[in-house]
Amino acid sequence: MVMPPSTGRQEAEAVAHTASAERYDRFVRLAQAIFGAPIAALNLVGNDQQFTVASIGFPKGEMPVEDSVCRATVQQDEVLEVRDLREDERFATLPSVTGSPRVRFYAGTPVRGQSGQNIGSLCILDLVPRTLGRQQREMLADLGALLERELAVQEEMDLAGQVQQLMLPTSAPDIDGVEIAGRVQPAREAGGDYYDWFVVNDPDGAGKQLQVVLGDVMGKGLAASLIASEVRAVLRGHSRYTDVGDAVARASTTTRHDLEANNRFSTLWVGRLDPLTGALDYVDAGHGLAIIASQRGYRRLCQDYLPLGMPIEDSWAMASDVLGEDELLVVVSDGVFDVLDDSFDEAEARLPAIVDPGLSCRQIVDRIVEFAVSHEATDDVTALVVRRTTRSDAASSGSASATA
Amino acid sequence: MDFEEVDKGTHVVLAPEGKFNLVAAPPLKARIDDLVAAGKARLVVDLHAVDFIDSSGLGALIGGLKSARQQGGDLRIAAAGTQVRAVLKLTNLDRILTPYDTVEEALHGW
Repeated sequence: MVMPPSTGRQEAEAVAHTASAERYDRFVRLAQAIFGAPIAALNLVGNDQQFTVASIGFPKGEMPVEDSVCRATVQQDEVLEVRDLREDERFATLPSVTGSPRVRFYAGTPVRGQSGQNIGSLCILDLVPRTLGRQQREMLADLGALLERELAVQEEMDLAGQVQQLMLPTSAPDIDGVEIAGRVQPAREAGGDYYDWFVVNDPDGAGKQLQVVLGDVMGKGLAASLIASEVRAVLRGHSRYTDVGDAVARASTTTRHDLEANNRFSTLWVGRLDPLTGALDYVDAGHGLAIIASQRGYRRLCQDYLPLGMPIEDSWAMASDVLGEDELLVVVSDGVFDVLDDSFDEAEARLPAIVDPGLSCRQIVDRIVEFAVSHEATDDVTALVVRRTTRSDAASSGSASATA
Repeated sequence: MDFEEVDKGTHVVLAPEGKFNLVAAPPLKARIDDLVAAGKARLVVDLHAVDFIDSSGLGALIGGLKSARQQGGDLRIAAAGTQVRAVLKLTNLDRILTPYDTVEEALHGW
């Protein structure tokens, strides 16, 4: 059977490489129990390989697509049932028929992907010939439809996570004298944490400044990420025209309805740095997790303001500090702080690992995020690190990593 | 997570335990909303058995505070442990959710 490349097979490859197998194991368990078959599997049919992503009675893994029965199932839109594979010339010589486990009976229902094309099959196999009744064939098709739905939901979630990642800054800000890096590791596909940076023209005419933001919307997952996108966009909009204190206050007013209607709140830390002088204006809206650190020690950049979305009114005004040439601005989310037992003493004990001048900002955020993840952080984890630099080759980078 | 609930007539004490997070917060918030809707808007959340709270837990407390106040009542918290106090202080939410040392102290004025 010649298998020309198709959208469906491309999609099967992509899903096979991202699918979290546990999600689909319950479907093969159900199929096995319902049909009393020794083997049940979800096979995705790619260009050259078939990927067994969930199975019982048969090993997970890959096999050449020529050796697969499901390659025939994906070419039709109804259940494929073969009473005895040995007596069907299409399958009689396949290795799994002539050799171990010597399967005889096959029934598979095609599973469609987002592309609308079939990407695989949910199938049951037996070691003796048998037939399904009409009702059993319908049940297999129903189970396949449920699995299709599960795949679609997972793909939607993955796409939402990708959209959120693509909204993070990835290139160096267009401003001299600063090195910056950030990273988000959401606990699920998408989450309520985000960071941002962009260049603003100072409203007082003092030239270009770099605005950096770390926001954390209460909760996790897709719902939190929707609110985070709104807070990010609204704060960007207001930040073009006014100082950081006023920008946060206006962002609060603009987002109040949506935060309250959803019973969500968002902590925010927003800083605006003049890389030439190190002057740093900032607002801390209930975030509390920003420090300036160096080998001499650290100081917190915190204020008493509430997060956005609280049931009582608050006002926000900026405070100021100066970022020295040998100092780091480090902002993290509570997912990092939680693994430090929410203790600044614990955090301080970890500082020597990041204030080494030989480390780039990229390396520092990686150290922070990987530390939190390796200590079993349960929340979204985010870190943002900024340093002034007189080097002309100031590097900068940002990245987001989806759930492993 | 389970939570204890004791109706004292003038007020209701709710006592969650363990991790007060994304899993545990919605059931407690739903119960608070039901109590408030039934006219029991004076609530104390006894946190002595909570060893960890996250933003979802804080959200449930803030949401409960909001519904209680809208019905002319209040939601107060008592006996918070170290981690809970640290998170309340970090987020400045102790400004609107005063952590009382004991349930008795939280009852003042009721």
